[in-house]
Amino acid sequence: MNALDLVGLALSRLRTSRLRAALTMLGVIIGVASVVALVAVGQGATRGITTQLQSLGTNLLTVNPGQATTGFTRGGLGSASTLTLEDAAAIAAVPGVAAVAPEITSQQIVVAGGQNTTTSIIGTTADYATVRNETMWVGTFLTPASDAYKLNVAVLGATTADDLGLGASSIGTDIAIAGIPFRVIGIMQPKGGAGFLNQDDEILIPVGAAQDHFVSGDSVRTIGVSVASAKQMTSVQAAITTLLETRHAIPVGGTDDFTINNQTQLLGAVSSVSTLLTVLLAGIASISLVVGGIGIMNIMLVSVRERTREIGIRKAIGARSRDILLQFLIEALTLSLLGGVVGIVIGLLVSAGIGQYAGWGFVFSPVTVIVAAGFSAVVGVVFGVWPARQAARLDPIAALRYE
Amino acid sequence: MPIIWVEGVGRTYHTGRIDVTALVDVNLSVQPGEFVAVVGPSGSGKTTLMNILGCLDRPTAGRYILDGTSIAELDDDGLAALRSRAIGFVFQSYNLLPRASALDNVATPLIYQGVGRREREARARAALDRLGLGDRIHHEPTELSGGQQQRVAIARALVTEPALLLADEPTGNLDSASGAEVMALLHELNASGRTIVLITHNVEVAAAANRQIHVRDGRVLS
Repeated sequence: MNALDLVGLALSRLRTSRLRAALTMLGVIIGVASVVALVAVGQGATRGITTQLQSLGTNLLTVNPGQATTGFTRGGLGSASTLTLEDAAAIAAVPGVAAVAPEITSQQIVVAGGQNTTTSIIGTTADYATVRNETMWVGTFLTPASDAYKLNVAVLGATTADDLGLGASSIGTDIAIAGIPFRVIGIMQPKGGAGFLNQDDEILIPVGAAQDHFVSGDSVRTIGVSVASAKQMTSVQAAITTLLETRHAIPVGGTDDFTINNQTQLLGAVSSVSTLLTVLLAGIASISLVVGGIGIMNIMLVSVRERTREIGIRKAIGARSRDILLQFLIEALTLSLLGGVVGIVIGLLVSAGIGQYAGWGFVFSPVTVIVAAGFSAVVGVVFGVWPARQAARLDPIAALRYE
Repeated sequence: MPIIWVEGVGRTYHTGRIDVTALVDVNLSVQPGEFVAVVGPSGSGKTTLMNILGCLDRPTAGRYILDGTSIAELDDDGLAALRSRAIGFVFQSYNLLPRASALDNVATPLIYQGVGRREREARARAALDRLGLGDRIHHEPTELSGGQQQRVAIARALVTEPALLLADEPTGNLDSASGAEVMALLHELNASGRTIVLITHNVEVAAAANRQIHVRDGRVLS
């Protein structure tokens, strides 16, 4: 008896009891669909977050001021004003550093024609484009010359430009930042990002101009450092730490008055968290797959009982125990595999829908599909074997007499 | 060489503490081409004998050689293979597979012999044709009369060309006209050389056979 005959037998059997077959498969369909959909959602979310983090800049180290201590009260991170433009200049000399962009920030009212908005005014340098991975939509970015001569020029984020009703034709016109005229020289490409993390709502001006008009002193909010290659991230981070400790005269073992965030570490942390979440989701979903398998076992046991006489007849006319075992096993396997295929299709559709809605697009993972198909086959075998053995072990005489 | 050679066969059932003896020291042989009836009232042990002759059960004593094969040496799969090759069963209640066409029913024994689908269908069709059911091959058992169902069952028994046709009360569920038809068919098959063993409690039916073996209280009388 060959396998093809057995598959034909199983299919014809399922055809004669379609409703029962469909209901039995439903458990596996739901299980496989939820595994496929949840894993895809997890992977999509990971990809979305990773893309957004990478848009912050490539090989980025962020140096932030540390905690201010007033008496016994310790302020939050960034509350101190310990980092200066001189620190930024010194960091630029560290080997392996490709670009350094200090940022000083203030919130100001901006007016353009009849429109006005309140936004972050960031005083920085031409290196900001490299460090923060900015690209221009129209016009030009800050240049070393605009930095050197502290020109009143402004580069607008996409959201800010929208808010002010400025477009491509607005390059060369003036806007007023806190009443001081600045010339618009460029508008940046939008980066996306949502909520509090909107990176497109800002205006960049030369750091000298910011000091002249908005912020006194030379302390900076943050210093963005772009490292030449990903391999050097750790060593450059260590070198900057040593440099700043020396410059700030921090004793060995003392608390640093600055912190350095490493983008690679952040990415690693985020992706390990989201991998964990994906595994967790898949684990929960696979419980329903197991329940689906038990459903198959249940129906197969009922089926063996109902078809006892058929089994007796088959044995009398020459079927070996193995033939009966295989017949019932392949029936269970057909149920679970068909359920698996339908579940995969539904899972992919659901994840495509969610991806569309959430904005990270459709993540197709062939590994997930193969694993889901393999898992449903395993379910069929594991939960089909016991009923099939029950069938194969039946005594033909008793089975023939069974009513 | 006889097709059936039974020597000192006994069958004892061990059920709980009491042993029930169904057959004691049975000796019989059937030559090729014979038409033998095993006759006895219910409870005589003839069903046990038929189970042993049909290789569905093993004797607890004695030897049984079927078509040159001693069944004592066979395991369950060996018995199944012997049934597949050497025996065609005809049952009182037909025992056709429900929801399968006459053609599929008749072709099923060939599946277990590993015969390919094309050949299976051709041979099943030929067997049904021979029994006058050529126009019923796609009917399911519920769409056939009792007599037709029994003829499908006979076609199924014959499709493997077995050495022995074993019929257990083949007319038991049939009206007298269909019963006579089936008996005539068995005679015809015997006339063309088929060896037939018929198990029945009905002395009238048994009379149709060439030779009768009477069973009573687990023993063969004649």
